[in-house]
Amino acid sequence: MLKTTRRALLASLVLGGAILAVAGPATAQEPKQGGTLNIVIQPEPPSLMLGIVQNGPTQMVAGNIYESLLRYDHELDPMPSLATSWEVSDDGTVYTFKLKEGVTWHDGEPFTAADVVFSADVFLRETHPRLRVSLEHVETIEAVDDHTVRFTLKQPFGPFLGIFEVGTMPMVPKHIYEGTDFKNNPANATPIGTGPFKFEEWEKGSYIHLVKNEDYHVEGQPYLDEVYWQVIPDAASRSVAYETGKVDVLPGGSVENFDVQRLVDLDNSCVTGKGWEYFAPHAWMWLNNRNGPLQDKRFRQAIMFALDREFARDVIWNGLGTVPTGPASSKTRFYSDDVPQYPHDPEKAKALLEEMDYDGTPIRLLPLPYGETWQRWAEAVKQNLEEVGIEVEVVATDVAGWNQKLAEWDYDMAFTYLYQYGDPALGVARNYLSTNIAKGSQWNNVQGYENPEVDELFQKAAVAFPDTERAKLYDEVQKIIVEDVPVAWLLEIEFPTIHRCDVKNLVNTAIGVNDGLVDTWLDR
Amino acid sequence: MQKLGFIVRRLFKAVVVLLAIVILNFFLIRAAPGDPAQVMAGEAGAADEKFIAQLQEQFGLNKPLHEQLAIYVGGVVTLDLGYSYRQNESVTTLILDRLPATLLLTGTAFFISLLLGLLFGAIAASRVGSITDTAVTSLALLFYATPLFWMALMSILLFSVVLGWLPAYGMESIGANLTGLAYVGDVAAHLVLPAMTLGLFFMAVYARLTRSSMLEVADMDFVKTARAKGVHPARITRVHVLRNAVLPVITLAGIQAGQIVGGAVLTETVFAWPGIGRLMYEALFQRDYNLLLGIFFVSSAMVLLFNLITDVVYTFIDPRIELK
Amino acid sequence: MQPGAARDFWKRFLRNRGSLVGLLILLAVVLLAIFAPLLYPQDPWRMVQRPFLPPLEVDGFWFGTDTLGRDIGAGLVYGSQVSLLVGIVSTVVALSIGVTLGAVAGYYGGLVDDALMRFTEFFQTIPNFALAIVLVAILQPSTESVIIAIGVVSWPPVARLVRGEFLSLRSREFVQAARVVGQKNSQIIFRQILPNTLSPIIVMASLMVATAILLESALSFLGLGDPNTMSWGYMIGAARTVIRQAWWLSVFPGIAILLTVLALNLVGEGLNDALNPRLARKGR
Repeated sequence: MLKTTRRALLASLVLGGAILAVAGPATAQEPKQGGTLNIVIQPEPPSLMLGIVQNGPTQMVAGNIYESLLRYDHELDPMPSLATSWEVSDDGTVYTFKLKEGVTWHDGEPFTAADVVFSADVFLRETHPRLRVSLEHVETIEAVDDHTVRFTLKQPFGPFLGIFEVGTMPMVPKHIYEGTDFKNNPANATPIGTGPFKFEEWEKGSYIHLVKNEDYHVEGQPYLDEVYWQVIPDAASRSVAYETGKVDVLPGGSVENFDVQRLVDLDNSCVTGKGWEYFAPHAWMWLNNRNGPLQDKRFRQAIMFALDREFARDVIWNGLGTVPTGPASSKTRFYSDDVPQYPHDPEKAKALLEEMDYDGTPIRLLPLPYGETWQRWAEAVKQNLEEVGIEVEVVATDVAGWNQKLAEWDYDMAFTYLYQYGDPALGVARNYLSTNIAKGSQWNNVQGYENPEVDELFQKAAVAFPDTERAKLYDEVQKIIVEDVPVAWLLEIEFPTIHRCDVKNLVNTAIGVNDGLVDTWLDR
Repeated sequence: MQKLGFIVRRLFKAVVVLLAIVILNFFLIRAAPGDPAQVMAGEAGAADEKFIAQLQEQFGLNKPLHEQLAIYVGGVVTLDLGYSYRQNESVTTLILDRLPATLLLTGTAFFISLLLGLLFGAIAASRVGSITDTAVTSLALLFYATPLFWMALMSILLFSVVLGWLPAYGMESIGANLTGLAYVGDVAAHLVLPAMTLGLFFMAVYARLTRSSMLEVADMDFVKTARAKGVHPARITRVHVLRNAVLPVITLAGIQAGQIVGGAVLTETVFAWPGIGRLMYEALFQRDYNLLLGIFFVSSAMVLLFNLITDVVYTFIDPRIELK
Repeated sequence: MQPGAARDFWKRFLRNRGSLVGLLILLAVVLLAIFAPLLYPQDPWRMVQRPFLPPLEVDGFWFGTDTLGRDIGAGLVYGSQVSLLVGIVSTVVALSIGVTLGAVAGYYGGLVDDALMRFTEFFQTIPNFALAIVLVAILQPSTESVIIAIGVVSWPPVARLVRGEFLSLRSREFVQAARVVGQKNSQIIFRQILPNTLSPIIVMASLMVATAILLESALSFLGLGDPNTMSWGYMIGAARTVIRQAWWLSVFPGIAILLTVLALNLVGEGLNDALNPRLARKGR
């Protein structure tokens, strides 16, 4: 039964992909101009100023308003956006970008190299914690002329060409923000970017309305006239909205997984799992390596053997996603599957527990407070662990409590999922480096894992040059980490994007719907 | 004159209670784990100490607690409810934005339930023991015992999903750009299910209350006298019984009216109604202190206001009641 | 109670057919709660069959299974324990606060009364359900915090009721007499006056248990219940997202709540008729 559900869904995924491919840009079908697209946004973003707020919903809407220098295809290779071409020096330390000419901000001011320097060197260094870390490798950022920008690095930094994605380095207008208090600038309420759509209106609690940027720098695009991002707080209501035709697109994660199959089976309904390659959301359980039996590697391995990760994928995630082999997602660069394996094997788990003389100390489990799917998952994990004799107490908390407990290491096991941003140096190493053990963050080495060998390999790999050198180092470090089980990897999450089949070219890049609807058109 | 003095005294007491509520809530919400900076950092997907410190400074959360309290109370006294951290917007604006939706929903539910409740209660009481009476009492009992959220779910299941008659969520068809009568009709269609779910419960309460207090009054001496004098039964019901039986109903109506702002959390959540209740629920989980406090302030003020109105209305219906 | 009084009580209680029905339903719920481990030896959280099994399809799974393949029947039976526990304990909490404050306010009167009534008013001013949500969120969801939250929001009506009774009883002869013979205030409050106010308190308590069960289920529905106990509200909340594929997940626990609350209300009315014969309404 489970198998059929999964297979049916896979079949429809493939079918959806096929339809997309047929309707893709390669075919003779000419994109139609005009139309209104209704799309769900969940939850309501706190702000649309992408330079200041980088959470999921903000990026999903603001990805239409703002742009960065590059975009990435499904294989994570860079494509031109605001930069038309780029060069890397032979030693991998100087990156020079040629900017597109004739680009204007939504208020009519020209976009130039000065804006790039201001955005990267001044604005985002101040406001963007994730980019700030990457920019530490950068010595200088200069405008060579109005349409050329040069980044000079202190030493080679492997993932550098991967940080020009719109959510990582959005371009913000210098003429509006220079010399102001960025976070309290009233202009944040009416965001100005270079993107294909302009901000029109935000009816708080109901919808965000964007309209076509008539002066967009790609001739004839965007195709759509307007986009309504609808705020519908309840997952079941979101499904109904799609069913009744009120919305055309359900971005990944906006409906509960249990609903996906049913929605996909509707007439004129397509689905794609693509468009998350850059993020590669990776779910795991933090195992607090400092606490009780969790200090023992055998206990952590026993947990891995006790978990029925296939069941969770098939039943809770409706067959979507991949059971991971270790810290890196199979979609991330330098992924290796040459690591120790942990199949579902309760007997082995019991044997390990016996060997270490586990005394039955109860373990607290902190679910991720992000809705039903995560709650069910925690309940299933609890059952898995109790079947091998580990007593589990689920601790209830809300988002604020969850954040605080993790930031202060007050947990035994806790669910989470993190993005990998295409490269292990950006999205994997941060969770295993012992230098990243610090209270106050939920994205660093929260579990308190310390292994000098791992530290050294990760540090070398980040700055090694060229990529073949990096690959060797990453192969080795993955093997060590998987043997140590510092955290329990659960799933490479696949968020299906569900849409009407007559919405064409919706997902074209590695960040999918987050990359804006510049190529999207309606076949109506 | 006497009435005016009474109202002034009550207003003064109300202000004191309100201030006490503000202060209690201020500490209450800060006792919850986590703070708004952590929540926002959590949503950002990456953060370091600098990021959190920046936010805390921006929100004024790095100041000592008594100073934060002084700033907040100082603001409230001048009717400035502060800024929402998360939405970066004045709390007053946010509340005023959402208030019409909530008032429409709870107001409709209030009037429907009050009118129908009184009507059914009176009918049942005037025909004690009849089939009508049994039907009204049984239905009232049933609605009274039904969980509101479950009723909401079941009505969505029936009227939106199975029958497809009514929209299941929201307040209007977004993007339809309707105007005039078409818009009114659209909102009305969206209003039916949430107002019905919210109203049914109170209707049951009113019907039960009206019926029982009418029966109680009907046993009293002055009614017996009227009956003995041969006054027409319909007139007895209208003039003598209903008028006196309505007092407890007014008390309850005052309570329900007071809940007009804060009482629709569940309904608004299930039906995605863009009102205050939902705003409160979200503000709580985002630890948006100022916004949450502002909503509590407004809804408590509403309760106090309606308590006062109830007391004044009493004196009009039954002049024997003294104001003190 | 003397045998004759007991007979009178039952006669008046049972004169209303509704209260008999209510009592029987309530009895059934209590029995279910007590014998839950015999009926369903398996943990209600255990995944025992394939997910989304419709009712009556497989023998022994009369109510079907939920999203993870857990037996709904087991959930219903174990849920009755939670509902009764929370309902009763939170009512006891509310009664102990309300009766104490109400008795003190009513007995002493004057400034004490005024201060305590302001305090009560204060709790009645903050919208109930909103306050309960905030309390649970602050204390973090668990059975204890849910009980505390419900208790804290439900005591004010008790306080008002008890205060009213005390106000009218404190000047009666038997109280005066007790004072004259030198009984302490606490003795007068608890030995003399309180027993005379028990009838309305009992009636109110039975209705409060019903309200508390509704409150608990609403909190659980919003995800503010104890994650380690299977409750009816939790079952509906968890079923909400799959309501169109699997109606049985939310329908059965809803009916369970409805029946239990209905039964408590019926019993409450019966108690009212039996304990307050003066006020017993005719025609029911």
